[in-house]
Amino acid sequence: MKGIANRPTPRLAMLGAALLVVGAPCVVAEDAADSAGHAVSMATTATANYIVPPVTLVRDDGKTVSLPREMDDGRPVVLNFIFTSCGSICPLMSQVFEQFQLRLGPQGDEVHLMSISTDPEEDTPARLADYARKFHAGPGWQHYTGTLEASLAAQRAFGVYRGDKMSHTPVTLLRAAPGKPWIRIDGFVTPDELLRQYRQLLASR
Amino acid sequence: MPAPAASPRRKLAFILALGIFAATHATAGSTIGEAIYRSGLQPSGPPIVAEREAGMRIEGPAAACVNCHRRSGLGMKEGRRSIPPIAGIYLFHPRARTADDLDLPYVEGMRADRDPYTDATLARAIREGIGANGSPLSYLMPHYRLDDAQMAELIAYLKQLSPGAVPGVTNSVLHFATIVTPDADAAKRKGVLEVLDKFFIEKNLRTRAESPRLHSSRRMMFMVNRHWELHVWELTGAPETWEAQLRAKLAAQPVFAVISGIGGRTWAPVHHFCEQALLPCLFPNVDLPVIAENDFDSLYLSKGVLLESQLIAHELLEQDSRARVHRVIQVFRDADIGKDAAGSLSTTLAGRGIATLERPLPVSASAQDLKSALRDLKDDDALVLWLRAADIAALGERPDKLPTVYLSGRMSGLENAPIPAAWRRITHMAYPFDLPERRRVRLDYPLGWFRIRQIPVVAEQEQADTYLVCGLLSDTLNHMVDTFVRDYLVERIEEMLEHRVITGYYPRLTLAPGQRFASKGGYVVHFAADTGTRVVADGDWIVP
Repeated sequence: MKGIANRPTPRLAMLGAALLVVGAPCVVAEDAADSAGHAVSMATTATANYIVPPVTLVRDDGKTVSLPREMDDGRPVVLNFIFTSCGSICPLMSQVFEQFQLRLGPQGDEVHLMSISTDPEEDTPARLADYARKFHAGPGWQHYTGTLEASLAAQRAFGVYRGDKMSHTPVTLLRAAPGKPWIRIDGFVTPDELLRQYRQLLASR
Repeated sequence: MPAPAASPRRKLAFILALGIFAATHATAGSTIGEAIYRSGLQPSGPPIVAEREAGMRIEGPAAACVNCHRRSGLGMKEGRRSIPPIAGIYLFHPRARTADDLDLPYVEGMRADRDPYTDATLARAIREGIGANGSPLSYLMPHYRLDDAQMAELIAYLKQLSPGAVPGVTNSVLHFATIVTPDADAAKRKGVLEVLDKFFIEKNLRTRAESPRLHSSRRMMFMVNRHWELHVWELTGAPETWEAQLRAKLAAQPVFAVISGIGGRTWAPVHHFCEQALLPCLFPNVDLPVIAENDFDSLYLSKGVLLESQLIAHELLEQDSRARVHRVIQVFRDADIGKDAAGSLSTTLAGRGIATLERPLPVSASAQDLKSALRDLKDDDALVLWLRAADIAALGERPDKLPTVYLSGRMSGLENAPIPAAWRRITHMAYPFDLPERRRVRLDYPLGWFRIRQIPVVAEQEQADTYLVCGLLSDTLNHMVDTFVRDYLVERIEEMLEHRVITGYYPRLTLAPGQRFASKGGYVVHFAADTGTRVVADGDWIVP
């Protein structure tokens, strides 16, 4: 775990002393599986720098786009990785994005929510658009697919690739602006906690 | 619990319990409990509602237990997170010191060190997310708003959901069937059956007879010797009679699952039979599978000619306007699968600015009829031929004014399609497999296996596919240890398929809950020269 600053998030605020990691495949503790668990979400937060790979993805509106350009549109970015056939983790993560948008209200468009599919061959743009509708995605939230290679490059670049799509773990990434470090949240983050992290990120910009 | 795992009394209790569960299972029709579990709905009244915390509300299908705990109730593994089994016996079993002391079929995520649930503590777990020991459950587990009557129904359903006696599984034999329809190609049929036969012989050679059942560790239970027995179910007569034939065969010889097999013009009666009988039907060799979104039991390697039709549609629609085709003429034999593929292509192109014209040929069509189906072509037409090799060989002279021809690879014989020289340069083929030079290494193993066992390669793709799914079945059953549950077999294949390294004709195979077609894309190719079998991809791998 060298070079990664981890700490349980709930009720622990400041990230001041977090170390920087460059493109690291961070593996961070997560809440124990089925065993005596936690009624509240347990997530750990770290700061990291990632190099956004210059890959082409296909957005849920069918348009072919460049990943770096989608991320560098001037807005803060909140990113996760999902696939639409996933029964447990992904719907929960998408619901957190939905609630996050809802809590932001009219400011929802000032942040770019991005969800990249880890099952791009099944998740066609149309399928992703259906999925987005199910979670009431607003105009600030896009889903992305593309070739398997492009999706893998994105997953690897952000250290979320776990060998196959069924082995994924919940990860949420936030960045205030291009060139700034990323906040990486491993584990289940609640909408309120995500909002708190986001506001703090903007304040430090 | 000081009693050893194999204590005869506990064994007996377990067997009795299984008997009861099996009996109730047989009588369980579609109950309220099942509706809540599988779809988050009740036969009447509003959908089921659950919450994780303020605002994180889910309802109906999104709240259905099946999403995480699966149809089998045996849970699943997602990431390093195990979703525990909630089939009754896993909830109500007495506390054990270790998993090895549990006298239950092994499932990943089963818990030993926990007090057994009671109906009251289980209701509390479902409503409030508090486990049998009083500690909170995982954050993933929603808190359900169920009234007492709904709760009683759901708990009753969980109790009967347990692994029990499964038809086709005895202490010494695992029975499987493979299904052959009368319209299957005779040569391919022989090739496929020979691979199955040799695989089963080999499998049984490896299980040493008479070795004692191992009890020391649950994880070793797969060492139990079960002889694999394959029953070849040859259907006869008209497709309308197949379901009845299959019901009779299953009644006479129960099997755990259907593996491979081979079809011809239609597979639908077999698909429907398996769905009705809740019988896994794993990867039959069919060019025209059944696409039915909510069906569970049939898995296919690909969508076959329906995938080809999507590949061709993709090519036609992607072309830039200067080369744009304005009309597509499709030629197929009325009684063959090309009719379905052509229908699918016409539907896809409808309203997209490309007209379609279907020219079916009767069963008795002659070479002259085929020629006349190629009449009146314009130079902005594309011709799509859903024809078998014999018709392709008989195409004769190429009509003038014909810029583009598309061909079904599966129907015409892939790179061995006997395309007349004059047609080659304008012909593109839907090729729903990996390219020959890229799959060569992956085929070395199965082809070597065939060679050593002196299996003649008469239908390389079907035989390689058959070998692939035999290996997949064997691996999956090893991972299932001794937990023989049909739904669980399908669920484990969904999870494990992506890990396979030897994927034969396919660049990769993946499934997931709800996905029923393992290879999702293909190429459109053309021939490299006027002779020979070398094909070159027109572009990248396409996932339509």
